[in-house]
Amino acid sequence: MANRHAVIEKNVGLLIVLILVAVSFGGLAEIVPLFWQKSTTEPMSTLRPYDALEMAGRDIYIREGCHVCHTQMVRPLRAETERFGPYSVAGEDVWEHPFLWGSKRTGPDLARVGLRPITEQWHREHLRDPRAVVPESNMPAYPWLQNTPVDWKHMERKLSVFKDIFGVPYSEQDVVEQMEKVNGEWADASEEDALVAYLLSLGQARKEVRE
Amino acid sequence: MSDFWSGYIIFIVVLNLVGCAVLLFANSRLSAEEARQDTTGHKFDGIEERNQPLPRWWLFLFIGTLVFAVGYLVLYPGLGRFGGLLNWTSVTQWEQEVALVEKSSEPLFQEFAKVPVDELAHYPETRDVGGRLFAQNCAICHGSDARGARGYPNLTDGDWLYGGSPDAIVQTITSGRRGTMTPMAAAIGNSDEAVRDMAMYVQTLSRPDLKDKPEYRDAAERAEPRFQVCAACHGADATGNQMIGAPNLTDGIWLYGARLEDIETTIREGRQGHMPAHEGVLTPERIHVLAAYVYSLSMETEE
Repeated sequence: MANRHAVIEKNVGLLIVLILVAVSFGGLAEIVPLFWQKSTTEPMSTLRPYDALEMAGRDIYIREGCHVCHTQMVRPLRAETERFGPYSVAGEDVWEHPFLWGSKRTGPDLARVGLRPITEQWHREHLRDPRAVVPESNMPAYPWLQNTPVDWKHMERKLSVFKDIFGVPYSEQDVVEQMEKVNGEWADASEEDALVAYLLSLGQARKEVRE
Repeated sequence: MSDFWSGYIIFIVVLNLVGCAVLLFANSRLSAEEARQDTTGHKFDGIEERNQPLPRWWLFLFIGTLVFAVGYLVLYPGLGRFGGLLNWTSVTQWEQEVALVEKSSEPLFQEFAKVPVDELAHYPETRDVGGRLFAQNCAICHGSDARGARGYPNLTDGDWLYGGSPDAIVQTITSGRRGTMTPMAAAIGNSDEAVRDMAMYVQTLSRPDLKDKPEYRDAAERAEPRFQVCAACHGADATGNQMIGAPNLTDGIWLYGARLEDIETTIREGRQGHMPAHEGVLTPERIHVLAAYVYSLSMETEE
């Protein structure tokens, strides 16, 4: 045993390799199996892929950094299920790329906001000026969303990427139908329309669980 | 979890624990040759590294973590499919938490349900329990002080769009309400002047002092005959109709603003009010307590 560790200590390349081996054990046991587990790879039966408007809204949600203050992860704790709704399960997030669980709860969790009895009008007024409806709110206002049309340039490509690369079950027909709407009824949609559509879609897969 | 992945996880976990133990004990022993020397042989700038065994407290801490890990893996899930002797899962813990609270709160709500809403409104518990329910479910629109916001009615002022009786409040919470004022510009003359005249006339209904001003007097004279189309909902005396949620225009309470421009917008574009239904979101017993709380809010202003 005499000072055999000196070999490692004097050989930086070997040290790096062995450190990587050592730190990878945690991931190998906790993360790697999840790629093959049914509970994380099989979508809930009630899950529905986003339509183009919701998908655009989701991108605006990411762009504006909503996930920096709002989580989308209801933990199985009574205080959270009482306040937000049914707890989150892995099968809801199979088609989420990237997932938007977030990690900082400055604002309320939004994973179930679509299940709450909140009107579309409220969402609009709240986005334009949060303090007009909730005086105590410290959320920034997003008044420009109502005047900014959605940029549809990449939507067809986006849908194809989700379909072909991420395995979201859009059919060819779905993509065509969505693009018809993008060029038709949604052509002049504002970013606010898209974001509200996305917010109202959140949690719908867990609707039947709600008592 | 398949057998393979279960075994895979168990293998890695056990390998780690055994590896740590081996590393610890192999390094805590000195060979006879090492023990004879006082230093490790490392020298730098004339400074020698002494050869000392691991401190005892540190060694015991290390052994302690290994013992803890074994104990934890026996009791809690961690070894592949083996769920631990305690059978703990986060979901069963959540279910127990919910069941525990329900056991203590449900009888309470059953008791409340037996008391009529207007009587329950006087109970101190209503303030606590109903207040919490209100903060959780209603404050988002009606405000944490229940005084409402533009477009969201003030619940403390004793003025009710759909009636302030206990039954009406329960009905409003349970089934929701949809208030619709259709755009009226076309019906009252279809011109900016006609809309302005009507807005000025409507303003005088709650502020008769405005009629002293000539422009208001003239506008009212022109608009008054056309008010009959408004009267279909708001009543001939403009005091509203709670059956359809048409607001009283004579009481000086304005849901969408009291300014002339606000009233003009209301007439020109109409308004849509939507109180969402809470059936299925809240149990009838909870709606009962909530109704009592809402009832108590305006009771206080009347006193």
